Amino acid sequence: MATNQFTLASPPTDAISALKFSPEPESTRVVVSSWDKNVYLYELRDENGNIGEGKLLQKFEHRAPVLDVCFGANEDEIYTAGLDWDVRRIDLTSSTQTVISSHDAGVRSVVYSKEHNIVVSASWDSTLHVHIIGENISAPAIVPLPSKPFSMSLSPTKLVVAMASRSLHIYDLKALAMLASQAEAGKKLEVEPWQRRESSLKFMTRSVACMPDDAGYASSSIEGRVAVEWFDPSAESQARKYAFKCHRQTADDVDVVYPVNALAFHPVFGTFASGGGDGVVALWDGIAKRRIRQYQKYPSSVAALCFSGNGKYLAIAISPGFEDGKDEVAEGTVRIFVRELGPTEARGKGPK
Amino acid sequence: MGKKRRGPSLEELLGRPWCYYCERDFDDLKILISHQKAKHFKCERCGRRLNTAGGLSVHMSQVHKEQLSTVDNALPNRSSLDVEIFGMEGVPEDIIQGHNQRVATQFQQAEAERQAVTGNPPAGQGGATPSGGPQPAKRPKLENVSDLKKRLAEHKAKKAEALAGGSSGEVTPVGAGQTTTTSIGFNASNPPAQQFSYPQPYTGAAAGSPFQSTASPVYQNFLPGGPQQYPSSTQYTSPSTYSPQPFTAPTPGQPLGYPSQPPSQTNTPPQSATGLPQRPPSLPSASTLPQRPVMGAPPVNAFQMQQMHMGQGQGGPNGEGTTPFATSVDDLISGAARAADQAAAPAAAPAAPAPAPSKAEPTDEKTTKKDKAKQTRLVYADNETSPEEKMARLSRYAFVPREETVLDEVPAAVTAPNDTLGS
Repeated sequence: MATNQFTLASPPTDAISALKFSPEPESTRVVVSSWDKNVYLYELRDENGNIGEGKLLQKFEHRAPVLDVCFGANEDEIYTAGLDWDVRRIDLTSSTQTVISSHDAGVRSVVYSKEHNIVVSASWDSTLHVHIIGENISAPAIVPLPSKPFSMSLSPTKLVVAMASRSLHIYDLKALAMLASQAEAGKKLEVEPWQRRESSLKFMTRSVACMPDDAGYASSSIEGRVAVEWFDPSAESQARKYAFKCHRQTADDVDVVYPVNALAFHPVFGTFASGGGDGVVALWDGIAKRRIRQYQKYPSSVAALCFSGNGKYLAIAISPGFEDGKDEVAEGTVRIFVRELGPTEARGKGPK
Repeated sequence: MGKKRRGPSLEELLGRPWCYYCERDFDDLKILISHQKAKHFKCERCGRRLNTAGGLSVHMSQVHKEQLSTVDNALPNRSSLDVEIFGMEGVPEDIIQGHNQRVATQFQQAEAERQAVTGNPPAGQGGATPSGGPQPAKRPKLENVSDLKKRLAEHKAKKAEALAGGSSGEVTPVGAGQTTTTSIGFNASNPPAQQFSYPQPYTGAAAGSPFQSTASPVYQNFLPGGPQQYPSSTQYTSPSTYSPQPFTAPTPGQPLGYPSQPPSQTNTPPQSATGLPQRPPSLPSASTLPQRPVMGAPPVNAFQMQQMHMGQGQGGPNGEGTTPFATSVDDLISGAARAADQAAAPAAAPAAPAPAPSKAEPTDEKTTKKDKAKQTRLVYADNETSPEEKMARLSRYAFVPREETVLDEVPAAVTAPNDTLGS
């Protein structure tokens, strides 16, 4: 393929669960969590400052597969969540790992809010743990959820939690942070979400991602569909919401529908990328309701996507399908691609 | 989105470079220039391609000692050598304007034609608002969901009124009581079924999706977990299947079972023998339809006529209003009766079933067209358990926290707070 795409050296040895670019604008650090129980830290720049296949800086072993990872207040701090039920903070400079809380089941997602300095983790025990990050991290406030969470995303002011049974909660981060700071450690903290919604999609929510401009979010389902919605509860904003089909292939007159595993918004243009079980990554303009482009099929299912802080790179993690729980991971099916985007490659075309 | 872009916009068309000599337009300037070199500035003697007509003229006179008089392959009025053209440079202003005008006119024509054919809004207007602005020459569209619901509600209210008013009491034989209760029962269960409809914008954006047919009873038994709703929607294979509906309406005792009836039953043509025994009623049920007397139409006559046309007079009293289709068909029948007010009564009856499919169930029609063409297969069809949970259950990823803390060399300092926190 084109020269503007690199394959990261030394990828994980098992399926990838999450991939995040450092949010700092000019940084080219990438963290990847994997089912091989490790979290990988890559740096795309080589010694001469050229961006290329990058190198593996560090690897952090966990007790069980790691399901999610995110950067903290700066790019030397990450938080991880995994099947060992723990949420950890890892200091990348000193490589110290600290367990900041433990759930009662596997932890699916972890996010960090810069604006409110909190870490929120979502676990299959149907709770959120809200950690106030301060001098020392206190015990988390435990917020019960009605169902198992499947995906979580935050904007500067909102936290969107997508759960089983198509339910979706939107929390106001400010309120959440305040309530958590007053909560008694270890006690259940009932927090009324800012909004409760039912997913616009008929099938299980696979991923949610908030718009960088704090206006709304996109969600995707296992049934090849993406919905775009707005936070604003007013009727006219709600009337703007829509959904569309994608990541489908027709084979012998049968429409094969793939799950849409990953969504990521471009931090500058506000467009977004979707990655499906078909190994296809597409860029969409959510406002103009247009597809901007679609990249050539990757050799296996797209597991995670992330734009770099300045929007110049798109990292694409591929892993063999989650679908069938295959036993063997074939050579070359777990890979991380980094695509260098042209100045207008991810920009919307504007309404016509 | 998700939709194919439909052709270039006017601005794009106007921005395209085009050839002065033959009015062809091109994707970009490079192609235009190579076109000109190949078609208009190529020496017919030696095949050499020059950059301009002037260049070719000089080449011809110097190399071949010939005088070039016209540009090859040019439109009759553009073949002059006087204008120095290179790509888009040198084209006289008035000709550019003429060209632009022509492009604009063509574009508008094409646009209008396309709109007439597809009924779509002009490019760039929100694809997600199907009910957009009023379009000229639009293909007849169905009313949107809220209108349908409103109409249904009004109709039900009228019906309920009539029932409550006791009009059904006097004339109706034994079966009437059943009719009343069942139809009420149906009404009550109908609104929840409509909850499954997607919000309106959705239906627009994903036109033709299986979820779209909001008023359809299919979704009454929609199970979020199952892909089986696809087959069920194929039940409406063509608009014409709707017409027989009222005649195969279930007997009063059955209405709630209706959704699970095999689809084949709905396909029964009106004339077929199987449809006959269940054939609805005559006068009694007509009395449950309040609007007919109001019209002053000859409703009973029309209805009877219709029955005669169907060739069957038996059939006990039954609940006409037990299927949603029946209600809309009632409307249609009465509407047709009204229309045929002055005309001969027999004409009204056959006419009645026909409008039903086109008027009342347009969304379904659309849906089925696409559904029929393609069956769908979900790669991951478990709607309850996420792929990650599935994977987590695999033995190789198994994790037992208590054991692990013992087995693993995790420092005690880390595990101890764990236990307290996790409780």
